[in-house]
Amino acid sequence: MSITATEMLPISEKLCPDTQEALVDVVRDCYAGDQVIYPIGGGTSLDYGLPPKADGVGLGLDALQRVVEFPARDMTITVEAGMTMAALAECLAEENLRLPIDVPDQAAATLGGVVATNFNGPRRFGEGTVRDYVIGISAVDGRGTPFKGGGRVVKNVAGYDFCKLLTGSLGTIGLITQVTLKLKPIPNAHQVVACAPPDLAAADQLLAALVESETAPTAVELLVGTGWQQDRFAADVNADAARPLLALAFEGTAQEVDWSVEQLKTEWRRLQMNQTHLLAGSEADQWLQMLAEFPRRGPAAGDDAALVLKANVVPSGTTRFVAQVQALDPTATIQAHAGNGTVIVRFADLPDGGIGRDLVGNLDALAARLHGNVVMLANPARAEMTRQSVWGGIDAPYRLMEAIKREFDPKNLLNRGRFVYQF
Amino acid sequence: MTTLPSSRPQAIVEPLRKIVGSDAVLSARSDLLVYECDGFTIEKNSPDVVVFPTTTEQVAAVVKLCNEADIPFLPRGAGTSLAGGCLPVGGGVMIVLTRMRDIEEINLRSRYAVVQPGVVNIWLTQALKGSGYHYAPDPSSQGACTIGGNVATNSGGPHTLKYGVTVNHILGVEAVMSDGQIVQAGGPAEDPPGLDLVGALVGSEGTLAIVTKVWVRLTRNPQGYRTMLGIFDSVEDATNSISAIIGAGIVPAALEMMDQGILAALEDAFQFGFPLDAKAILLIEVDGLEAGLDEQRDQIIRLCEQEGAREVRMADGDKERQKLWKCRKQAFGAIGRLSPSYCTQDGVVPRTKLPHILRHITEIGTKYGIRVVNVFHAGDGNIHPILLFDERDPAQIKQVLQASGEILDECLACGGSVTGEHGIGVEKVEFMKKMFTEDDLTVMNQLRVALNPSNRLSPDKMLPTAGACGIEQKHPGRRAAM
Repeated sequence: MSITATEMLPISEKLCPDTQEALVDVVRDCYAGDQVIYPIGGGTSLDYGLPPKADGVGLGLDALQRVVEFPARDMTITVEAGMTMAALAECLAEENLRLPIDVPDQAAATLGGVVATNFNGPRRFGEGTVRDYVIGISAVDGRGTPFKGGGRVVKNVAGYDFCKLLTGSLGTIGLITQVTLKLKPIPNAHQVVACAPPDLAAADQLLAALVESETAPTAVELLVGTGWQQDRFAADVNADAARPLLALAFEGTAQEVDWSVEQLKTEWRRLQMNQTHLLAGSEADQWLQMLAEFPRRGPAAGDDAALVLKANVVPSGTTRFVAQVQALDPTATIQAHAGNGTVIVRFADLPDGGIGRDLVGNLDALAARLHGNVVMLANPARAEMTRQSVWGGIDAPYRLMEAIKREFDPKNLLNRGRFVYQF
Repeated sequence: MTTLPSSRPQAIVEPLRKIVGSDAVLSARSDLLVYECDGFTIEKNSPDVVVFPTTTEQVAAVVKLCNEADIPFLPRGAGTSLAGGCLPVGGGVMIVLTRMRDIEEINLRSRYAVVQPGVVNIWLTQALKGSGYHYAPDPSSQGACTIGGNVATNSGGPHTLKYGVTVNHILGVEAVMSDGQIVQAGGPAEDPPGLDLVGALVGSEGTLAIVTKVWVRLTRNPQGYRTMLGIFDSVEDATNSISAIIGAGIVPAALEMMDQGILAALEDAFQFGFPLDAKAILLIEVDGLEAGLDEQRDQIIRLCEQEGAREVRMADGDKERQKLWKCRKQAFGAIGRLSPSYCTQDGVVPRTKLPHILRHITEIGTKYGIRVVNVFHAGDGNIHPILLFDERDPAQIKQVLQASGEILDECLACGGSVTGEHGIGVEKVEFMKKMFTEDDLTVMNQLRVALNPSNRLSPDKMLPTAGACGIEQKHPGRRAAM
């Protein structure tokens, strides 16, 4: 399902400045005229956050997608924020480099949007997250002041770290215009090893044993729910849809990956997990991309979930949280980046008793006990979009976030109403 | 510059004793001398009172008291900062966190540990021995520096090339804000929604909050190492090899360079067998799965030879590897053999600009008649030129300061930074105006105002716009840095 910016946002027009300087002028004009601004990258995450109510203008980054500097041998790149992830990946691949961050809709999603939403996927276990790669950033605050943090070198501790502060800031304190990234070489081998433990308890044992594994996986994925039967590989691994599926990805040189796969199989055999399935090369890579798409689309074609939630819990609490989701809705399709405690759930239907009462209230409480929280990734019908159901429990640090918001955007013009700020 | 009514700090000594106990307050002039500077010894100023809290609640109560009395305050760990991060510029209350030194939890299953800020970096490494995990950031001062201090300065070290700096390993912090409010940002679960407060606090040099607890990420130990010594007849060949190695897609765990000047001192001190006629040496270490290491080693040897290495030696076993690292980490201790005084800078350039900046450093040395030797984190482009001089000669002092400034200016001209790991502190406040625009600094000040509106917490640090008095540097001091 594709939703356009004008359908999602209460905007009269979408402005697309040609240069970063022109964008600064637009923000200054908006500041002078008290005009609310909705930043628009690729438009792939416009449904993330509370629904905007105030009328305003859309500010598109469409024209800002130039490569500013690509010193490949320094393994860094500086690009404008409107560049799509696919275009970035293509440019980097020419020098055998990559940004190892998995995002859905790469052809549309922009780097600025990915940084603003802090979107990460399966490779986060071995490769880290967006914030680990942003070494320089330029943005414009809500007063129209252009500012930057970091620089173009991989090591730099001068000044406050705006690279971190803007990552995940949802466009609420600054409009990201340019990003400098640290890069990694593209590994020459990829393999996925998967198994189907009898139940979640057995999956948990395998996850616990990974702590002592000699291998160094890039991704540790736990897939649960009948929805995964729609994926050919998952169905091969898991003839019994009731079982969970545990898949590990390895990347590196051919020697390293071959050794890791054999080692993992040996370690799993010791735990009576004898049946394993493999994917290699581009098939493995494609399967990982399928997993990266999960927050936006399920494994079946045309699978538009009624609700997508994402929970963050302490990694050891992953299977407990997954079990709770299953108890609440046995038809839910669940993906967990199990090494990180990230659980993404696609619900086919909205619960009869309401999202708050039947789902979020219950899951939020468990997530809180597991030191985390639950946020809403998508809710196409826009049902019950409350602060609690969309952003879960955010307590003490929220006041600090609001203090920062007030300084960076005193008129509350940037993405007004989408995050939890109450002014 | 913050000025204080002189009677006020003494008036809060008694209330402070009530909060932290009599044995945890220092206020006698002679007791305070130790706290008048950190590893940056050029400027000194004594705090009025030093307190040693043992709990977060005590820190919060001290902060509230300072606010009520309108007295500035700042945190301090082990005081190993090389940029004056712990200098109490306007006096006031210094909150020393070294008595908060418990490792509260080690959780291997979820790959994190919870430590108090006064835990010395190496204690965590020791506590993890045998577990198969480690805390990756290992600044060369790790035997003394605290994790709270590492968080404040976003510390680096020789292994940042592959493993990243402190901020990449911090999951959460508990902190006392400038008004005494206790908050937790982040924790053992990743991706807390909203603004990345943890990321903003790490590296803020104690100007935004006082961190009282830290959730650190633990990293699996590598299965093996290959440590090599590349010997070169020209600095250019050595720096070209660095680009060749990284350009080939190899990310070594460490890639350090030492030039001929420092080699002589090292050989004199440690008798390792370094070839004294070599112009430069690269200490290269790769780590990871055994299965991939020999291939990487062979590739590195080939690349170094292609770039003109005279020889690439392998460290013969773990003992020799340890000895090599000892030479590298203690390099600064050997400098006394070269000169009565020295001054180190902490600039960063893109790796490919290393040949240029090293040439430039030599030219600057010649121009001012100053001998410069180099030992640094080459893989990161993080230079540490060491300027040798005699502090008894005021003319030399002036020249060293001018030369240092020119080197850092050239780092900026190359698109680099004036500090890779030591921080701005008070030492480099003036350079902030060169590195950042007025707008950048205005917005940085917005963050300071948001979280530290009274500016009583660590005043006059880091930002020239925050009322910093612009300490005029008169003396280059004698500083070690890694």
